[in-house]
Amino acid sequence: MSDTQLPASLPAFGLGLRTDHFEDVLNNKPKLDFFEVVSENFMVGGGKPKHYLHAIREHYPMMMHGVSLSIGSTDPLNYDYLRQLKVLANELQPLWLSDHLCWTGAHQTNSHDLLPLPYNEETLEHLVERISEVQDFLGRQILLENVSSYVTYKESQMSEWDFLNQLAQRADCHILLDINNIYVSARNHDFAPQDYLNGINPDRVRQFHLAGHTDYGDYVIDTHDHAVADPVWALYRDALNRFGPVSTMIERDDNIPPLQELIDELDIARRIANETFTNPLSGMVNTPLDITGINQ
Amino acid sequence: MTNTALQQLQKQMINYLTDKDQNQSAITSHIVRQGKIDNQTRLHIYKNAYQTRLKEVIDTDHNILGLYLGDDLFDQMVAGYIQTYPSQNTSLRHYADKLPQFLAQQTPFSEHPILHEIARFERLLLIAFDAPDAERFDHQAINALPPENWPTMTFHFHPSVQLIDLSTNAVESWQALKTERTPEPAVMAPSCWLIWRNHERLTEFRSLSDEEKTLVHMILNGDDFSAICEFLLESHAPETVGGVALNYLANWVDQGLLRRGLDTTQHQGYSPQ
Repeated sequence: MSDTQLPASLPAFGLGLRTDHFEDVLNNKPKLDFFEVVSENFMVGGGKPKHYLHAIREHYPMMMHGVSLSIGSTDPLNYDYLRQLKVLANELQPLWLSDHLCWTGAHQTNSHDLLPLPYNEETLEHLVERISEVQDFLGRQILLENVSSYVTYKESQMSEWDFLNQLAQRADCHILLDINNIYVSARNHDFAPQDYLNGINPDRVRQFHLAGHTDYGDYVIDTHDHAVADPVWALYRDALNRFGPVSTMIERDDNIPPLQELIDELDIARRIANETFTNPLSGMVNTPLDITGINQ
Repeated sequence: MTNTALQQLQKQMINYLTDKDQNQSAITSHIVRQGKIDNQTRLHIYKNAYQTRLKEVIDTDHNILGLYLGDDLFDQMVAGYIQTYPSQNTSLRHYADKLPQFLAQQTPFSEHPILHEIARFERLLLIAFDAPDAERFDHQAINALPPENWPTMTFHFHPSVQLIDLSTNAVESWQALKTERTPEPAVMAPSCWLIWRNHERLTEFRSLSDEEKTLVHMILNGDDFSAICEFLLESHAPETVGGVALNYLANWVDQGLLRRGLDTTQHQGYSPQ
């Protein structure tokens, strides 16, 4: 099994592991620091998915990223799911295990979506208790990721970043910052994305996600079917300046291009990081980077 | 906001997504009015995502059934299924598990038995695809068996092995569409099929003769090699029975149908209709 240490002076760079790329990864072993897997895709008995997963794990460290924890649900925690998650984590020994700040179902019905929560003290208490229960069961800290959202509830009494910050502190979990989701939610709810970054405690951030979205003018939808957009790259540069060399990966879940295209896209992130961390004025001046045409 | 209030909000959102709250008033009352987008549009992003995601799962799992039905009937089936069966599974992998049942019970689909049989066949292909792995029985293991052990020897199928009895030409029609040919009209044509994942982790299927079907059932029932030979005596000359039985075994081993292990653990992969 590949080493689970990552370099520290620059971010580690990885990609989401997708079925379309299994053969390519094994045949060509691209230079990546890790792969991130969607946990639920490998909660199966065996066959090709598990075969490729373990074969690729031999060569790369892995992150596990789930979509079904439903940490904000008012239904009881799903221990059948948690048991499967723990088994997979024991198999893969992931660097980090993450899910989302959201709820995905309630009243025995699953939306299979990352639904937002009202951000207030009561929700905070509800989540702190559940995260502690999950971390105790798994025997490890988890990361929670900010989601893209399209509605704000009247019951919210604080910003999402205040909520996430307090949650991470009180539940003693970590944060996965999805830079694209910050941008998408900022556009949909009319806040400055830099306010989000500035409101998050750097000590809690362990991973960045980058992804593409679809811009409908009046609103933006998080679709993961395009290249990362220019404003998201700009926000990524801001995030590196604030949070330091945090592990970074690109998620693509639809219109999946050849692996090399995603590796090329990840090179944009590498270049931004190199410029950020080799520039003595880093954090004071943003070095311009011409990426026009690269991510069209 | 108490936990009960959060429960209520989540129930209202779920009711909205699953169309139990047609007028949207309950959930809309929780949403802040912001910017140029009205709340109906904001909420609809979630409903659209819910329905699209479930439709994509059915389309992916039942691609050939979709071709057989054509776009209009497929959309009608999807809309009816989503309405009847809100997702109760953590994994989308199991969302369409009840589709064969839906097609067998709901008109106009229930008037065409071939539809629920194609759906059943496709679900078993999925089960075979990612069923648990197990070490397979090989020729070396057979050759190493002491002769005195043969009569009481029992066999076990690989966890991916599925058995399906059909009353129509569902599989033939599925194969035709898979290879971009026009299927024959649906007819009643009883048959039995074996589905499994082979040594190369590829899903295979083939039809079974009445004799082989009986042997498969005997193995599933835990009958030993002497019982198998006894059954074969009904239709084969005594001097050929051993050879016939070994021939079956050799083929099953070649195809990766048998798992190693002489315990009495019940086979989990069998899916009676």
